Amino acid sequence: MMRGIWNRETVALILLAAALPVAATWLWEEGVTGGSRLLLAVIVGGLWQGLFTALRAQPPSAAGAVSALIIAMLAPQVGPLQFVLGISFGFVFGELVFGGWGRSVLSPAVVAIMFLGFGFPSAAWPVLAIQIGWATIPAALLLLAFGVLPWRVLAGALVVLVLAGGFSLDLLTSAVALALVFLVCDPATAASTSLGRWLHGALFGSLIVLFAASWDTASAQIAVSAALLASLSAPLLDEIAIALWRAVRRHRHG
Amino acid sequence: MSPWSTLTDPILRQNPVTLQILGICSALAVTTTLAAAATMAAALTVVIVCAAGIISLLRNHLPSSIRLIMQIIIVASLVIVVDQLLQAYFYEMSQRLSVFVSLIATNCVVLGRTESFALHNRPLPAMVDALGNGLGYSLVLVILGSLRELFGRGTLLDVEVLRTVEQGGWFEPLNLMLLAPSAFFLLGGLVWAIRSWRPEQVETSEFGLTRVKEPGP
Repeated sequence: MMRGIWNRETVALILLAAALPVAATWLWEEGVTGGSRLLLAVIVGGLWQGLFTALRAQPPSAAGAVSALIIAMLAPQVGPLQFVLGISFGFVFGELVFGGWGRSVLSPAVVAIMFLGFGFPSAAWPVLAIQIGWATIPAALLLLAFGVLPWRVLAGALVVLVLAGGFSLDLLTSAVALALVFLVCDPATAASTSLGRWLHGALFGSLIVLFAASWDTASAQIAVSAALLASLSAPLLDEIAIALWRAVRRHRHG
Repeated sequence: MSPWSTLTDPILRQNPVTLQILGICSALAVTTTLAAAATMAAALTVVIVCAAGIISLLRNHLPSSIRLIMQIIIVASLVIVVDQLLQAYFYEMSQRLSVFVSLIATNCVVLGRTESFALHNRPLPAMVDALGNGLGYSLVLVILGSLRELFGRGTLLDVEVLRTVEQGGWFEPLNLMLLAPSAFFLLGGLVWAIRSWRPEQVETSEFGLTRVKEPGP
C-alpha cells in the first residue's frame, strides 16, 4: 500500500505541505506586497510548467509552487518586469530544459534568484524576519518524518554551522535555514549517496562560514550563493563517494 | 556539391558553432559588444579563407606526417599578419580583443576546415567552403554580440537604442549579459531554437530514461 501511493506527486505534495507554515509566517510579515510577489511567481512559474508539460504530454505537477514561494521570499527586490524575466529564466533554464522536476542539477529557485542577483546587482536583498527561521523547524520535521528530506545533508550542515559558530546558532539565520531546508536538502538536487550527503551538507555549511566571514552582504545572498555552489558540486561529491567505496572494496576483496 | 551549397551549407545547416559546437571559446569571450564581435568575426573569416587557399595549393606537397604542423604554421603566420594590421589601424579594438585574435591560430573552426576540406580539394572550392564557415561563425558571433550589447548596455555599436534608467529612461540594463555565463545561456538557447526548427540536427540522447513498467496490483 505504501509503495502504491509513493509517487512523484506525493513527494511534491509533502514538500508543499511543509512549505505552508513558512509561507503563512512570511505572508503575515510581508502582507499584500509579499502576497502579490508570490502570486506573480506562482502564475509565471505555473505558465512555463504548464506549457512544457502540455507540449511533452506529461501530467501536471505541484512541485513548482514551492520553488515559486522560495523565489518570492529570497529574490532581490527588483521591478515586476525583471522579476518575471528572472522567474522565467529560472524555471526554463534551471529545470524544464533538463526534462522537468527531478531531472535537473539545480533547483529552479536557486537559478532564478542567482540570475536576478547577478543581473541586477544594485537591487536590495530581502531581510527575513526571525519567525521565518522558526517556521522552518516544523517544515524540516515534517519532511524528516516522511523521509523526503535527506537527513545526512541537514546533519552535515548543522554540525559545521554549530561548530564554526562556537556552539551558538548565530550563523543559522532565517535565510540560511530556509535555503538549507528547501534548496540544499531538496531531494531532487541533493547528493544521493550516504557519504556524498554528509559532504554536501558540510560543504554548504563551510561555504556559509566562509561567506559570512569575508563577504559583507545580505544573509539571503550568502545563503543562496552557498546553496548554488553546494548543489553544483553534489554530483561530484557523489562521484567521490562512489570512487571511495570502490577503492575500499578493491582493497578489502582484491 | 555545387559551389552555392558549399558556401551556404555551413551558415545554417552545418553551422560550425551551433551544430559542431566548435570555436565557442572565442564566441563567449569577445561578444560583450557588437563591434568586438564583428571585428573578431572578420579577422577569423580572413584568416580561414587565406589559410584554406594556401593549404589547398600546397596539398600535394605536404607530407602527411607533418601536415598538422604545416597547417598550424600557416594559420599562425596569417594570424600574426591580421593581429599586426589590427594593432596598426584599430589599436583600441585590438586592445579590447587582447589575446583572442592571437588565439584564432588554435581555433578549432580553422584547423577543422583546413584539415577536413582544404587538404582534399582544389583552392577555389576550399576557399568557398572556408568563406561559408567563416560566415557561419560570424553570424553566431554577431547575433550573440548584438543581444549581449543590447540587453547589457542598451546600445548597439555604441548607439543608444534602449534608454537606460541612469540616462533617465525606462530600461534597466541586465548586468549578467556582460558576464561570460550569459553567452553560454544565449548560445544554448540559440542551439535549442535551431534544433527545434530543424530536428535533423538533434544528437541521439546518451542519457535517455528507460520507461519502467508500473508495478501490478
